Amino acid sequence: MSYVGIFKMHLKGELQYRGKAISGIVTQVFWGFMRISLFTAFLATSSMQDFSLYQMSSYIWLGQAFLAAFYITVPPEVNKDIVRGDICYKFIRPMDIYNQWYASVLGSKIASTLLRFSPIIILGFCLPNSMGLMLPVSFEAFLLFCVSMCIGVCLCSAVILIAIYLSIKTLMPKGASAIVMSVTSLLSGALIPLPLMPASVQTVLNFLPFRYMSDLPYRIYIGNFTIAESCMQIGIAFVWLVALIVIGKLLMKSSLKKVVVQGG
Amino acid sequence: MLYQKYVKMHIKSSMQYRLNTVFLSFSQAVVAVSELLAVYVLFQTFTTVGTWTFYDSLLMFGVVTTVFSFCECFFRGYDSFAEIVQSGELDRLFIRPVNIHYQILGAKMEFSKLGKFFVGVVVSIIAVCKLSITWSIWKVLVLLGMFVCGVVVILSLMILGAGMSIYTIENLEFINIFTAGSKDLAYYPINIYQKWLSRLFTYVIPVACFNYLPLTYLVGGGTLLPWVYALSPCFGMLIMIPCVLFFNFSLKKYQGTGT
Repeated sequence: MSYVGIFKMHLKGELQYRGKAISGIVTQVFWGFMRISLFTAFLATSSMQDFSLYQMSSYIWLGQAFLAAFYITVPPEVNKDIVRGDICYKFIRPMDIYNQWYASVLGSKIASTLLRFSPIIILGFCLPNSMGLMLPVSFEAFLLFCVSMCIGVCLCSAVILIAIYLSIKTLMPKGASAIVMSVTSLLSGALIPLPLMPASVQTVLNFLPFRYMSDLPYRIYIGNFTIAESCMQIGIAFVWLVALIVIGKLLMKSSLKKVVVQGG
Repeated sequence: MLYQKYVKMHIKSSMQYRLNTVFLSFSQAVVAVSELLAVYVLFQTFTTVGTWTFYDSLLMFGVVTTVFSFCECFFRGYDSFAEIVQSGELDRLFIRPVNIHYQILGAKMEFSKLGKFFVGVVVSIIAVCKLSITWSIWKVLVLLGMFVCGVVVILSLMILGAGMSIYTIENLEFINIFTAGSKDLAYYPINIYQKWLSRLFTYVIPVACFNYLPLTYLVGGGTLLPWVYALSPCFGMLIMIPCVLFFNFSLKKYQGTGT
């Protein structure tokens, strides 16, 4: 399958940059400590019932470990395609352009995640309770965590494809991806974990797709939801995934009908 | 003045792509606002942290956003110095009869960061109005000192990072710990963090000097003598000296890259 080929190519490409990965891991660990320290200060002022210190630190470490999986950015080579006009070559190939980009985004996401997550997870397990990473609450929860992670990464890639659409529309990939990234990281709980937000805000966010990317798997892991609740939420996540892919494909199709090729 | 010419040149070149600059400024403003909303949402849930309230934190956010975006705009040359090293451009800077720092300052400017700068200034003004401060001439000076100190500290960190990239050649991500780390940390008064973290960012990297130390002087309180808090921005600026010395030392060690 040719899409699988694209996927594999990006997987191998990412795995080449080990030095970059180590530097990234050091940075992510530091950020983890910083964020845990921040939220610890807030939780020390007034504690919460359904979000203990240990759950909070686990949430943060999962977030740091899987940062690459849920990081929203238009990949540099797609940027180049759009700005330089290499997009033409993509049209020549007898493949669907949405699927091509989707495969390459998903491929580099999975590779950079595989390269980075394990040291941070191990470090998290070694740290003491108040600032470390807990084991999943149950085996079922762990399985559901894995399932929702897979859906989450696919959902995140679908959001990136919409960011790519905006880049084609505006021809300014830097600005478009900066906007999508900052809005998404606020609404998905990457900046502030959802349980630390006021209830009214959480209710609103439940109706948006973003929290089903990273917030859902992490909270299944730390035991915020019962098994039945988790299954239902995974269902919602799946519906969002299908919806966003369909929307993305339609948008892409409409924009590519009158695409302006830059350069030559 | 040569610097004025540099600035004019950069303004002209970014005005060639006017829509692009405007859109990028807008996107930078969106980035700043969503980070501001994160701070706001957190204080909606908790109302206070330690002894600080939302408006204390808001002033910290305003100061750090203003100074950071100012540095990213005008001192972009240091920030992206790794590119100059990588491409071998640095060799060319050496042969020109102008001071190298002058050339780096003029090498790059990014006016799109002014979107963020604008948000920072507005937020600072709102915070200053909302905080109950009994103003005196000294307090005004300390407030201005916070901004000056912030610019100097962030610039120093950028120079430090530039110095390191002479050895590493690549722009390694962990340098961000000092620059972007200081920024994210300083959205809140940094004495709320764990001891080791707040000490690191007080004594080693003097982020505290444009953060909670002068803020303590403005709103009153604190256990030390008031003049210590008032003068803290001056102490913070001292970081410039070792950073510039390190950078100049590294330049002497530079052996050339690229073609």
